[in-house]
Amino acid sequence: MSATLCVKLQRNQGWLPLIQSVRHGSKAVTRHKKPVHILKQKLIAVTQYIPPARTVPPGAYPSEEKHVQEDNEFVLLLKKNLEEVFEECKMIAVVQTNACSVDDMLMLRHRLCKHSIKIRFFPNQVMRSFLSNSVYSNMAPLFIGPTVLFVSKEPKVKEMMSALRVSPQMTLLGACIDNTLLSSQGVVSYAKLPSLTVVQGELVSGLTMLTSRTAFMLQRHPAHLSALLQQYIKQQSPDDGAEATPKAEEAS
Amino acid sequence: MISLIKAAVGGLTVISRTHGLQQAPLHSYLKICAAGLKTFPVIPDYSNVVLPEKPKLKFLNKVPNLKKAKKERKKLRDIQGPARAANTFTCGQYAIVAMGGGYLHWGHLEMIRLTINRKIDAHTTFARWRINAPYKPITRKGLGQRMGGGKGAIDHYVTPVRYGRLIVELGGKVELGEIEHVLTEVAKKLPFPAKVMSRESLEEMHRKQKEMEENNQNPWTFKQIAQGNMMGIRKVLSPFDLRNNGRFTGKFHFPGRV
Repeated sequence: MSATLCVKLQRNQGWLPLIQSVRHGSKAVTRHKKPVHILKQKLIAVTQYIPPARTVPPGAYPSEEKHVQEDNEFVLLLKKNLEEVFEECKMIAVVQTNACSVDDMLMLRHRLCKHSIKIRFFPNQVMRSFLSNSVYSNMAPLFIGPTVLFVSKEPKVKEMMSALRVSPQMTLLGACIDNTLLSSQGVVSYAKLPSLTVVQGELVSGLTMLTSRTAFMLQRHPAHLSALLQQYIKQQSPDDGAEATPKAEEAS
Repeated sequence: MISLIKAAVGGLTVISRTHGLQQAPLHSYLKICAAGLKTFPVIPDYSNVVLPEKPKLKFLNKVPNLKKAKKERKKLRDIQGPARAANTFTCGQYAIVAMGGGYLHWGHLEMIRLTINRKIDAHTTFARWRINAPYKPITRKGLGQRMGGGKGAIDHYVTPVRYGRLIVELGGKVELGEIEHVLTEVAKKLPFPAKVMSRESLEEMHRKQKEMEENNQNPWTFKQIAQGNMMGIRKVLSPFDLRNNGRFTGKFHFPGRV
């Protein structure tokens, strides 16, 4: 305040600050925090505590080295059973049981038992450890969740599909039939195929029909045969070979 | 005792399991209800606890018995920084610990004494003062008196308390849960932030502070900068800051600093 008066007198002397702070001595204040000097504030901000990076708690990640689990006797027995199943059975279907009650399972088992198809239960862990060492290792992805095996010594796919149609809570995932891995679609198309004896009969009948036809032709009148041969030569000529073929077939 | 009960329960489950299997091999989903069984925690061992003859808090004099009472200066230093005395447990298990500096009046001490003596069970618990009776004189000028004329007369006495000092210590055949509410009730009324702590939690606090100092990832520490007088920072730092590494400002404590 007193400085303002001085400014008027000493205008030409140079610039002086208009307001000058007056110090009143240090006060012994204990009620509140004293305002901290800006440099000290900066120092405190710079020297904040920085905690070390969080260490990973033990057990958060699986251990690096694979611990080899000793198989107990029961697991070994199950594996032996599995080996027998895969050796004996020609059809091994993997089916997922979604909320299948005991009664449903009993009915299904009964229905499948008529066609000598058995239902076998194996733990997935045992299954996977068995499959990883066998030639059927490609089946391993099928064993997720509650799964059962339908096994039979003969590939009775049709009967199995008809039994599965009645129980919708069972979902067919895939099957290994005659050492061939089939998807569920593949199994369905397999079931639509006619049986082996029918196909063999068709083949035999087709083969015999050709020979019988030739014999029949030879037994006919020679004039008819010569006419047919003439027409065949005519068809072989490059002009109208393509068009005449269907006609010749009709004629024969 | 507990092992006996466990064995009995285990035997029961085994029996029920085998029974279920025999009856219905397909429906072997048997649920075992364990309701009503409870394992109680082990009772703490108080065999080596010795209760003193006078378990209650002693009455503290309002005014020290001096031949000649002398006026003193303000001496704010006696509440600044960490406590150098009575900052660890001696005989008790639980205590009220000051988390800042301040002055305790005789009224505060009476409040502490009456509350604790009334609420604790003297047969199982004892309490001990960890502070002295008021000894620091505070002067006041009389009412309506004009300024000047020298320093006023001694009005009352106070007890200065620094950060980390134990005020009252409790012990005996009790757990913290039994007396915590009494101590928190008292701690709330003190003129500085105070906390109820047990022997273990105080040790834990010291350990944590030490660990923080060791594992600080900040390359710039207060101590290093202040001692090296980097960029002339000592201009704004006091010897008090040098001693405490910026963990205190006056009677206040900055938590979380190293």
